[in-house]
Amino acid sequence: MTRMQDDDPHAALRLVLVVEDEPLIALDIQMMLEDHGYGVQGPAGSIEAALALLDRARPDLAVLDLNLHGKLVLPVAERLLALGVPFILASAYASAEFTGRNRIFTDVQRVDKPILERCLLEALGRASACGPPAAPRPS
Amino acid sequence: MDLDELYRLLRSSHVRAMGIVDTLRDPLVVLGPDLTVISANPAFYRAFEASADETVGQSFTTLGNGQWDIDELNQLLREVVPKSASIYDYEVTADFPHVGRKTMLITAQRVEHPDRQHRILLVSIVDATARRRKEAEKDILIGEFDHRLKNLMSVTRALARQTTVKGRSAADYRDDLIARLDALGRSLQVSANRDTTSLSELTAQLIEPYQGGSSRIEVTPGPPVPLISAQAMSLGMVLHELATNALKYGALSGAGGQVRIGWAPEEDPDGVAMVRLHWDESGGPKTAPPDSHGFGTRLITVSMEHELGGRAEFDFRPEGLRAELVFPRRD
Repeated sequence: MTRMQDDDPHAALRLVLVVEDEPLIALDIQMMLEDHGYGVQGPAGSIEAALALLDRARPDLAVLDLNLHGKLVLPVAERLLALGVPFILASAYASAEFTGRNRIFTDVQRVDKPILERCLLEALGRASACGPPAAPRPS
Repeated sequence: MDLDELYRLLRSSHVRAMGIVDTLRDPLVVLGPDLTVISANPAFYRAFEASADETVGQSFTTLGNGQWDIDELNQLLREVVPKSASIYDYEVTADFPHVGRKTMLITAQRVEHPDRQHRILLVSIVDATARRRKEAEKDILIGEFDHRLKNLMSVTRALARQTTVKGRSAADYRDDLIARLDALGRSLQVSANRDTTSLSELTAQLIEPYQGGSSRIEVTPGPPVPLISAQAMSLGMVLHELATNALKYGALSGAGGQVRIGWAPEEDPDGVAMVRLHWDESGGPKTAPPDSHGFGTRLITVSMEHELGGRAEFDFRPEGLRAELVFPRRD
């Protein structure tokens, strides 16, 4: 397989924020996305780094690792929600109950780790088509 | 047998029976058919910090603050005598007076008595709190292990996918991939099962595959630098990428070249304690900056910036590459 610009219909120069704490996986996600015509913002390895990137530019989409060195990625998800940016979750924790208490994640597309390229692109495509997740109703 | 003899016999078997019950480590309660406590052993009084006065003659369901007053348990206990049923390890988790939150396993059986008049229940109670806690801890450990395993699978896939295939033979690809996997393994081994490792230990492990007959990578260790496991893994991969690059294009690609590694402490402008590790190549072919979009270069940059919170500086001098890795100490 050669590294080609295999343009995804959803990609069309869209900017994707990548938040992932494991550098090798972050790089892999970045290169997968770039191979398919996406631009990558980051990758950011921490909540602080991700929020700093969002202060500078608004991405079109985002891929978030659920757990960054033991911290939930929640503050980044909330900022994306406020900006109206659709995002997907990538996590090695298979169970949905891990995030069940955070309604912000209820309707979010997920990809399991190890991440399959096809699943990542499909999830991004669906997230992009659906728009940002609905803001949770105040309880 | 006269009456005295009979009395002695009865008395000694009673004493023996009492002795056995009293010696049991697990709490034991004897209940009548109406679930009234007839007696309890010292282990019971110890476990629940209760006295005989507040126990004997009370209904089992009113003991403590009614922690045993569970409809299902009641029903089960009431069936033990008439139906000769048994209860094994019925689990009750509750807050008990004096002793706090406990998980208890209840076992109850009818005691057969020859005269068929005295039908009683023997209820033994095992404190499974510690066991349950250990089981819960084990579940957490297994979950953590599962997570790490999946993470490692992801990293392995990333290495396999991103190791260059363009214009190279399958054998070259395989050798590169195996070298990267080895570097990953060595980095993990150095950092596994320990909270911290040291920079000199990591460096020694990572350059070991490149040390042929004559040592061409020379390490002059600086002051001790402890590394946490995530630092060790990332830094290990960075050192491997530098070494493999030197072997293919740099000082180790021909005869006579050499690499010198060392490190020194420094402070950044904010007074944060940093480490500056230098990688000096000499005696190799003339160097030129590599493809900045290659996986190796990007791996070094991403690892240094995102995992180690530092940076990598490259100087492609004619006499050989000088790389400096600057990162904050985390001890």
